[in-house]
Amino acid sequence: MRLHEHEAATFFQQAGVPVPPFAVVRSPDEARAALDRVGLPAVLKSQVLVGSRGKHGGILSAGSSDEVCQQASSLLGSQVRGFAVQSVMIVRKVDIARELYAGITVDAMAGAITVILGSVGGIDVETIARERPETLFRRTIRPPAQLRGHEARALAAEAGFSGDLMVRIAEVLMALYRVFCTSDALIAEVNPLAVTPDQALWALDAVMEVDDAALFRHPEMPKDALERIEHPLERAAKRIGVSYVDLDGDIAILSSGAGLGMATMDVVGQRLRPANFLETGGGITEELMYRTTAHVLRKPGLRGLLINLYGGINPIHEGAKGIVRALKERPVAFPVVAKALGNRQEETWATLREAGVIIVTDITTEAAVDALDRALQDRQGRTAGGGA
Amino acid sequence: MSILLNRRTRVLVQGITGKIGQAQTRWMKEYGTNIVAGVTPGRGGVSVEGVPVFDSVRAAVTATGAEASVFFVPARAVKDTLFETLEAGIRLVVVVTEHVPVHDTMEMRAEAKKSGAMLLGPTTPGILTVGEAKMGIIPGNLFPPAGGSVGVVSRSGTLAYEVGGILAKAGTVPNTVVGMGADPVVLTDLADILRLFAADPETAFVTIVGEVGGVQEEMAAEYIAREFPKPVIAYIAGRNTPEGKRMGHAGAIVQRGMGSVAGKVAALERAGAHIAHTPAEVGELARRLACSSGSSR
Repeated sequence: MRLHEHEAATFFQQAGVPVPPFAVVRSPDEARAALDRVGLPAVLKSQVLVGSRGKHGGILSAGSSDEVCQQASSLLGSQVRGFAVQSVMIVRKVDIARELYAGITVDAMAGAITVILGSVGGIDVETIARERPETLFRRTIRPPAQLRGHEARALAAEAGFSGDLMVRIAEVLMALYRVFCTSDALIAEVNPLAVTPDQALWALDAVMEVDDAALFRHPEMPKDALERIEHPLERAAKRIGVSYVDLDGDIAILSSGAGLGMATMDVVGQRLRPANFLETGGGITEELMYRTTAHVLRKPGLRGLLINLYGGINPIHEGAKGIVRALKERPVAFPVVAKALGNRQEETWATLREAGVIIVTDITTEAAVDALDRALQDRQGRTAGGGA
Repeated sequence: MSILLNRRTRVLVQGITGKIGQAQTRWMKEYGTNIVAGVTPGRGGVSVEGVPVFDSVRAAVTATGAEASVFFVPARAVKDTLFETLEAGIRLVVVVTEHVPVHDTMEMRAEAKKSGAMLLGPTTPGILTVGEAKMGIIPGNLFPPAGGSVGVVSRSGTLAYEVGGILAKAGTVPNTVVGMGADPVVLTDLADILRLFAADPETAFVTIVGEVGGVQEEMAAEYIAREFPKPVIAYIAGRNTPEGKRMGHAGAIVQRGMGSVAGKVAALERAGAHIAHTPAEVGELARRLACSSGSSR
């Protein structure tokens, strides 16, 4: 789950990262009132879960109370890169002498945590890595090992800092590292970490994403993880407990694993156009498949449905009953092809056949796509023949 | 021949009294697996599918000599359970469980390296040694009764079934199918599993089933180029995956220019692997390889 900037900033601040005074507001009046705590001049930042807000007009600055009020009313209710702005973070503006980058993330290659300090910041880290890789300094930490103070100081020294500033940068890294670990984060990033002309350090942005799999042990995290999924069909699928990605084709796909789902898209994509990616994971029940089938059929303009299942951990014979129930409630005019193999495959085939589903018993997904393609062509031929 | 698991291996099932643990224990036993014990804390003394259940791994090991373990325990209990299992001396563990927090996996991975144990997962379908035994959830009925000489290692579960079945149908029967786990961080790397196939005299060649996201295939390509002595066929799923989209489990995402299908294919091709563009093509490549190398089955 991606956190809003103000949520991440709160966690960072609690851990000891210096964050300038800020407030979160939902109306221009609240914005004016917040200035007591924040002070002027101020920066107004749209709270939307998307990057490059500044470039797209989502960040404004204001020097007076009236200006804050005006800017807040122009941002609230507007859209930034297609995301509705429901709240604005007002932050005290600070003078910037220099910008750094500080980030902690999971490094899949090492299977460990990477601590990154950049002597240049303010632009996204991918760009820095591409254009100025010599400005990025890293340490790999293998939990349960922790980032030690001397390691953080060595990193700051490598990046060219000395004296008191070196020590304070190391303290920021330590604080970020603590919040990264205690929050089960996938990323915790401050960019830019600003140095003021009088050598003060301030975190001027806060990015954090928390591992969804670990939310069960984080009662302090926001409770609206599902609401943060932007696409309505993808959100509805998550609520059912399956993964759905909307695509622009017209062949609906229903698969029982991510790898299989992607391979199905590969094969379908050679001749036809997938309408979606959908995978159930290992939790198939009759009810889940009923809801999942009804879900993929909600998309308008479909020409076919391809079902690709394996009975390993999944009781596909139970799932088949759910598919049939959905198809009976909402009969479709297009061909439905199913390849379902593994434990209790014969029962699965019998259940699906009764509902008019075309069954493919060959192991290859190609065979299933062939069958669907043939059914589509037959239909076209019949339609053309009927019209002649 | 096979790697990791054979019909004599004494297997423990953790989480055996759960619905999935119980059903899968039945499938594993029917396939021929030598399941000697189960563990569910608090349920010691009962029996599931004829298998005695113990309260702790140590008690199960002492009573039955269990030497390998398969997990059907809830995600939140996996880390703790793994530490118990390693402390009891077990050196082969299959973590079938999905949705394990990645911070837990990182800690388990460091422990695995220290202990020298072979740990597969999380989110793995497990190991199936054709015609002998299986730990995990790979359906046995996709394979013929006797194993051949093709090693299969896959990141995805369901795709391992499909490619394993395609190889069998092509007459190039797998010996061992290994799922390494579909999460972005896994307990054992692809290259470590390839090492086992390299050392197995009965494995003629290996098929890698990869997918978009992560860097396992890229790391394995380096190892293959350096020293892997056998032919490799590779299929990487996810050519039509839009960038930045998470396809199911967290592993399958292209980000920051890393983990694209094109990058993986290029790395493996440079390492000398034969690339299949679809699952079915794996069968054709395998048939050709079997003929040219003179190896049958």
